[in-house]
Amino acid sequence: MDFSESDKDLWKAIYNTKDLLHCFNCSTCLSGCPASHGNPPLLVRNLARMVVYGLEDDLLDDDTAWACVSCSRCEEMCPMDVKPFEMILSIRKWQSANDETRVPPSIVEIYKRGYTQSVGTNTELRESLGLPELQTITKMPEMLKLYQEMLMKTPVVSENDYMFSEE
Amino acid sequence: MAEKKPTGTILVAGAGVSGIKAAIELAEIGYKVLLTDASPQIGGILAKLDNQFPSDHCGMCRMLPMVGREYASQYCMRKGLYHENIEILPFTQVKSVEGDAGNFTIELLQKARYIDTDRCNGLGECISVCPVEVADEFNHGLTQRKAVYKPVPHSTPQMLLVDMDACTRCGECVKVCPTNVINLDAQDETSNRQVHAVILASGVKLYNLREFEDAKSWAVSPDVVSSLAFERIISGTGTFDGKIKRPSDGKIAKRLAWIQCMGSRNRRQNRDYCSSICCMFALKEAVLAKEKGGDDVETTIFYMDMRTFGKDFYRYYERAVDIGVKFVRCRVQAVMLNPDTSLSMRHYDSQDEEFIVADYDMVVLATGQIPYETHKDLADLLHIKVNAQGLLPTETYDKVKLTKPGVFVCGSLMGLTDLSEAMSSGIAAAGQASRLLAGLDVTIIEEEAVPEPRAKDREDPLVSVVLCKCSDKVEKSSVDFGALEKGLKKLMAVGEVNIIDMVCSDEGKETVLDLLKKSKCNRLVIGACHPFIYRNALKNLAKKAGFAASLFEIIDLSSIVHKGFFEPNRSESGAKDQTREAYNELFAIIENLKLKPALHVETLPINQTALVVGGGIAGMHASFSLAQRGVQVHLVERSDKLGGYASTHVNHTIDGLEPVSMAKDLAIKILEHKNITLHKNCEVAATQGSLGAFETKIKDNENQENIYLQHGAAIIATGGVEGKTAEYEYGNSDLILTQAQLKTGLDTGEIDVSEAETIVMIQCVGSREKQENVKQDGQKQGREYCSRICCVGAIANAMTIRQKNPEARIFILYRDMMTYGFAEQYYTQAREEGIIFVSYTLDTKPRVALVDGKPVMTFLEPVLNSEIEIPADFLILSTGVDAETSNRDIGKAFNLPVNQDGFFVEADSKWRPVEFMKVGLYVAGTAHSPMTLKDAILQAEAAAQKTYAYLSGRKIHTAHAISRVHDAICVRCQRCVDICPYGARSYDEVLDRIIVDGATCQACGMCGVACQNNAAEIMGFSDKQIMAVIDAKMSKNTIGLAAQ
Amino acid sequence: MELCLFLGCNTPAIRPDVERAIRASMPELGVDLSDAEGYVCCPAFGAFPSTDDDSYLASSGWNLSIAEAKGLDIMVQCGSCYSSLRMGRDHLAHDETKLARVNELLELTGRKLECKTKVRHVSEILYNEVGAQKISQTIKKSLEGLHGVVQYPCHTLFPSEIVGFEESPRQPKALRILTEALGATVDTYSRELQCCGGAGGFSKSTPVEATAFVKSKLDAIIEETQADFIVVSCITCLMYLDNIQKKLNEAEGTDKYHIPVFDYNQLLALCMGFDPKQVASICTVPRNSVIDRI
Repeated sequence: MDFSESDKDLWKAIYNTKDLLHCFNCSTCLSGCPASHGNPPLLVRNLARMVVYGLEDDLLDDDTAWACVSCSRCEEMCPMDVKPFEMILSIRKWQSANDETRVPPSIVEIYKRGYTQSVGTNTELRESLGLPELQTITKMPEMLKLYQEMLMKTPVVSENDYMFSEE
Repeated sequence: MAEKKPTGTILVAGAGVSGIKAAIELAEIGYKVLLTDASPQIGGILAKLDNQFPSDHCGMCRMLPMVGREYASQYCMRKGLYHENIEILPFTQVKSVEGDAGNFTIELLQKARYIDTDRCNGLGECISVCPVEVADEFNHGLTQRKAVYKPVPHSTPQMLLVDMDACTRCGECVKVCPTNVINLDAQDETSNRQVHAVILASGVKLYNLREFEDAKSWAVSPDVVSSLAFERIISGTGTFDGKIKRPSDGKIAKRLAWIQCMGSRNRRQNRDYCSSICCMFALKEAVLAKEKGGDDVETTIFYMDMRTFGKDFYRYYERAVDIGVKFVRCRVQAVMLNPDTSLSMRHYDSQDEEFIVADYDMVVLATGQIPYETHKDLADLLHIKVNAQGLLPTETYDKVKLTKPGVFVCGSLMGLTDLSEAMSSGIAAAGQASRLLAGLDVTIIEEEAVPEPRAKDREDPLVSVVLCKCSDKVEKSSVDFGALEKGLKKLMAVGEVNIIDMVCSDEGKETVLDLLKKSKCNRLVIGACHPFIYRNALKNLAKKAGFAASLFEIIDLSSIVHKGFFEPNRSESGAKDQTREAYNELFAIIENLKLKPALHVETLPINQTALVVGGGIAGMHASFSLAQRGVQVHLVERSDKLGGYASTHVNHTIDGLEPVSMAKDLAIKILEHKNITLHKNCEVAATQGSLGAFETKIKDNENQENIYLQHGAAIIATGGVEGKTAEYEYGNSDLILTQAQLKTGLDTGEIDVSEAETIVMIQCVGSREKQENVKQDGQKQGREYCSRICCVGAIANAMTIRQKNPEARIFILYRDMMTYGFAEQYYTQAREEGIIFVSYTLDTKPRVALVDGKPVMTFLEPVLNSEIEIPADFLILSTGVDAETSNRDIGKAFNLPVNQDGFFVEADSKWRPVEFMKVGLYVAGTAHSPMTLKDAILQAEAAAQKTYAYLSGRKIHTAHAISRVHDAICVRCQRCVDICPYGARSYDEVLDRIIVDGATCQACGMCGVACQNNAAEIMGFSDKQIMAVIDAKMSKNTIGLAAQ
Repeated sequence: MELCLFLGCNTPAIRPDVERAIRASMPELGVDLSDAEGYVCCPAFGAFPSTDDDSYLASSGWNLSIAEAKGLDIMVQCGSCYSSLRMGRDHLAHDETKLARVNELLELTGRKLECKTKVRHVSEILYNEVGAQKISQTIKKSLEGLHGVVQYPCHTLFPSEIVGFEESPRQPKALRILTEALGATVDTYSRELQCCGGAGGFSKSTPVEATAFVKSKLDAIIEETQADFIVVSCITCLMYLDNIQKKLNEAEGTDKYHIPVFDYNQLLALCMGFDPKQVASICTVPRNSVIDRI
């Protein structure tokens, strides 16, 4: 492994907490992780190690953080309280910030209609089940606009504003 | 008339092995000890353990005194404890401690047992009729017990009690009790006692699967057990007669797994400490499982660091590896119960980069300590506050001494301790208490005078036989006491036969005493039940009646006629057999007694001066401890100044201590003390003599003269030196240093790390590997042991560098981080500071290349399974601790053994850590093995206490039974001298005789086996006697009974 | 009591019968629900929580402020929504800087957050507020004779100090007790605590392995229990465990996998006598085998 390119302060950019540094590689997080069954497996411990070492290139290329099912078992079981799930989210954030192709498309959906799904449009079905019409934000353009304006002040939206422009 | 001075009295709260040890030590000096335990038993955790590392046997009896052993206690410690000066108070809580050092008032709450244990005969009739069955705590609920029960099944003193929570008050036990000692309406009793000092030895709570929330999820099946429960499973007296079976279905378990650090090393649960003992515990259990369960037993230990830090621990680990114990470096998240009731665990194999799911029949959880709650409660009791760590506050250097004067701790209150540390700390705590009491106006308990021999003891043997018929139990039994009496009376040597009812009762004892006082006999045999219980009571009875101890025997009537003792409806022929058997046994004993000489003990002269070899911290501490108690000390130091290694190399430690200044202060105290004579520039040349009367020749190298010192005992405290190495290019670059060089360089400022980008440290350099693997220039360089101090030492240095240069990358390449106990917090802190720890194995040792004089490191990163190459500004090597080279010469001078590593070999690695086999010689500090400063001080205190026990002025008696020499037939071949394990025999060149040291001899009989001329004999066990017993047994003599 | 119902997106969009079951059953037990008008995505862990804290916590704050304005606590059924909202709230409640920043953002929209609103899961409301006893007293029909297994939503268990409500988070029992309150027998099995595997990128990025993972769970249910149904309390668990069975059958050419999956409130509503066509109509594995026996 080429270590000369490693950035010893990378952890501060990714997951700036001493929680991470407490990790002693015990592997508890791996043992019960659902996504560790994947191919390639999500190896939480290894990701933590890569962050500590500051292996920037390897980390940027690594997709496995996105396989996490967010069950937080690792968080519950980690004896050193590294808060591995928070670390996974932090890696994703760092990847999104440093590689726009990592920005999840779902946030565009949320920006545009408030949800990842088309909520409240299945009126017929809902009626057949005896359900009322849903007051979704999609149906409240004024409010949606306020939400969008707010999001526009956040880094991911402002820095990638081209993704959110109306066609 | 002056007021009578009080007897020095000490409370020892907690009767586990460390508390018992402390109690024995103080009782041996002559102080009165109150030994309490909150549980209904004594013996603590050790009562459950049949097998102890490293011998895998029990060795509990080795904690008993070696001199005066016939008086101090009974022989088997697993069965219980007896000492005239110890008041044992089980089931007793200390409710309050008021007052100050030298004047404490303690309030004791003695919980009701509902059984008067002084009068209970312990036979357990009540147990057999009790209808209630509940889970037995002793076997961790793996077996059932009754509501009336023995808390430790194998203990023999009367320890029965009624569990009132389970009791239905049916009253069956009361009806059946032969001695009428059960009172179901008994009440708890409170009492106030005055003591001069308090020793806390109550141990700590252990993590368990029933109580702790996060632990419960592990208990997916009864086959997931704690390590202590597993001890009961493999115990011969345990749940399955020593077979390894599953609690769930009783099937033989072949696939076993251990999970380490259960409840420990867990920051998330506020348990960021190591429990210290679990690694060795698991190793021992895995080895035992293999040995007891057969070759096809598979054992796997899931671990993070194998903490084999103590003396010989690493060799035991190597043995475990050799016999096939598997080690997996992974902390697993959960155990899953498979449908077929097997247990499954999943772990990641970093090397093969794959997940492995494996099935097991049983899983053993290494459950550790839960200290904070216990410490908090004790602190409240003492009206003090716990320290920042949440523990009882101790003196800076004395682990056993609380900051509150007059209160001391030992055993697992210091953090879980292995047996050896439990023993050292028990002795050291006793030592500290004795130092306190030595300065108080208190007395010791005077020993009863050894009875003068009676004239009639030398007359022809005439035996008095006393037989107990145990109420009407025996009347209904199969033994025909009438026939027995008639038969015995026909024997020439029998003067009288008395059949007594209930010798165990007060009335019974009085009757016997009256009879014996009038007796014209000079020898005595008493036949009763359970000699372990009654031995001391009966011995005292015999003594009061004037019988010489050596002319008195006890026979266990109940086990001789065991099969039919309490079975009334035996057939007539069966009854005859029983009676005949009893007769035969008594006949053999009488034949033996006939030939027994009247033995009397010798009182030894004791020179109340101690010799201490080595003026390092341990030697100085031991000297001062003794001198403070009025013992004259000769302190011999080879160099021209006091202080040793710590005083020159360790300015400050990670826990904020400053050994250099401490050593300086101590040295001044030593120089000023009137009881200490310092011999600088001197070396031990030769020594002779035995306990109480040694003479040692020391060579004064400065003045070129020999000095002869007379002393009663000696402490060896020679210390150690930093290990050497030629590995990792050491010596070829100024940038490659040892940890000591770095430390000194950092302190003096000669080493500048402010510009360094990368600093790499390598642990275990030349340590913990087979010696033959680490040869340099044909020389063995290896240390096949852990040096114990290097991991924390490296962390301390790394933290110092971090302070000077926060930007440097610091890598510590380690094999297993030995930050045991509360030192774990330093490891956590170091990681928090960004120091990077990378593990390596013997197969993946780091490599170093010098490029332009700079070390370039290549090492395997085991988590990512790839190699890292990185240039280092400094490479620091942890080269461990080597034994002092002079140890071998000193060993030769004192005739003391030195092991292959050059450290002294103590009498027993677990039970007698600071003693040598030869009584009167002790070891402390790194002369024993590498250890921390605080541990060296602990050992020094213990060694000083062992010394003081003999030099305190109390009389020392030899035992009755000791070995002696038939001078006339001895050919002086000295085989006996070589074979004696205690060093009790020596050859005196001037007298041309073999000399036996009466205090040291333990009457083991090895000399008798070795001697080819029958010139070595154990008094009281002559060949004639032995032959007479054999003849008696073979003859099937039924003279008296034949008439029936 | 009254709670602010946070529906999320999958429930109203894909499984509105679950929504109907919740809306029908909860008021019967004295839990009145008020809609969170203008709520947005929780936000899903794969969305803003994976991009930056501002967008994550601003969205959490948006949703929390809706309930806070009503003076109500939030009730959620979807595990991910519950966990995301609860973790978001935890960040805001314990970090003044973060709360101040979110309020800065919310201010643009005329909202304000004090972080008073609590986030609660429907199963916790049923377990702690309503109680099993009241449930069994209220229902008109029973699941007696039926065997079920429970699927605990991971998001309601871990990390226990933030999202948990079980007395023993590693040995949860709420859903079991609630299901037993409906008269069913709940069987245990080795993989009871195994995650369904349906959330996050796992099932999408490595479908083969994810399918094998859930198969091990379903196999264990089939081999070790007499389960007539699986009961869940999370929309992801419901959809994934329901839909994956058909895929497994297709892949293996069998019809081995046909265990009906219900949200707990669906079973509750059925036992209360609500029309199955309204409260339990959308499924991949047919539910007749269970519904017909209630």
